[in-house]
Amino acid sequence: MKAQLRVAVACVSACLALAAGAQQPSPLDAVPEKMPNDIPYGTPISLERAQAAIAAAVGESKRRDWKLNVAVVDSGGRLVAFARMDGAQLGSIAISEHKARAAAMYRRETKAFETGVQAGNHYLLTLDDVIASRGGIPILDGGRLIGAIGCSGATGSQDEVVCRAGADAVKR
Amino acid sequence: MKTRPMLTLDDCRRISAAAEAEAKRNNWNVCIAILDDGGHLLHLARMDGASPANARIAVEKGRTAAESRRSSAVWEERIKAGRNSMLGMPGITPVQGGLPVIVEGICVGGVGVSGVQSHEDEQIAAAGIKVLG
Repeated sequence: MKAQLRVAVACVSACLALAAGAQQPSPLDAVPEKMPNDIPYGTPISLERAQAAIAAAVGESKRRDWKLNVAVVDSGGRLVAFARMDGAQLGSIAISEHKARAAAMYRRETKAFETGVQAGNHYLLTLDDVIASRGGIPILDGGRLIGAIGCSGATGSQDEVVCRAGADAVKR
Repeated sequence: MKTRPMLTLDDCRRISAAAEAEAKRNNWNVCIAILDDGGHLLHLARMDGASPANARIAVEKGRTAAESRRSSAVWEERIKAGRNSMLGMPGITPVQGGLPVIVEGICVGGVGVSGVQSHEDEQIAAAGIKVLG
């Protein structure tokens, strides 16, 4: 029994050593000179502007006969305004807010996480409160992040189209 | 088969606008949340100056009213009267400021408000629901 165990351990060790030897250098080892998404946080978005973003998103969604949930959060990632269109699915209420929050907290579109995971960077899913699905977009004013909008209820690509319409309507 | 009325986004916008107008008239900054009869969020508006906590509390007051089909103040009153065991009721936020929306005798949802004193929160919620006639 003991001898068998020793042989097994030796085999596993050899396999690990082989795998390590065959590994390519990781692209994650590169150290860029500047940091990405270096966007300062600005004054939290006003309710009026948040509602304008939602109105634009809902308008775009209606034109296409899609039924979505639309959430706008402030620069702290906290909910400012929300609207569920008639017939929008319930599971997407929380997703729309999550997308908006992730876009604000990470200062980037949630599509970045989706793209990363699709490319095999699964470590992204271990980062706190990430959602790897497009349809969350930061709202900027004069280069500062004042909030974010998130849409959910259809395909990610459809969510994103509606989300963009909302974000574009209020960016400055 | 029974049919029942349900709130549309348009209804929610009217309720929210009326509630916001009532708050503005009094110089109050609050958050107004509207939920359906399953306690799922339909509409939310946090006025400038209202805190993130107000947003969370408004949703929970509205959910309490929507799911229990009665005002959140009823729960608060019961506890005040000594029924401390009500503090352990699942999913109940026993603080005044959440009202059920009753249409044709059926509870179709709830409105929760947070930001000022509890009785003022309820006054705002009531002003919102009033637009449904």
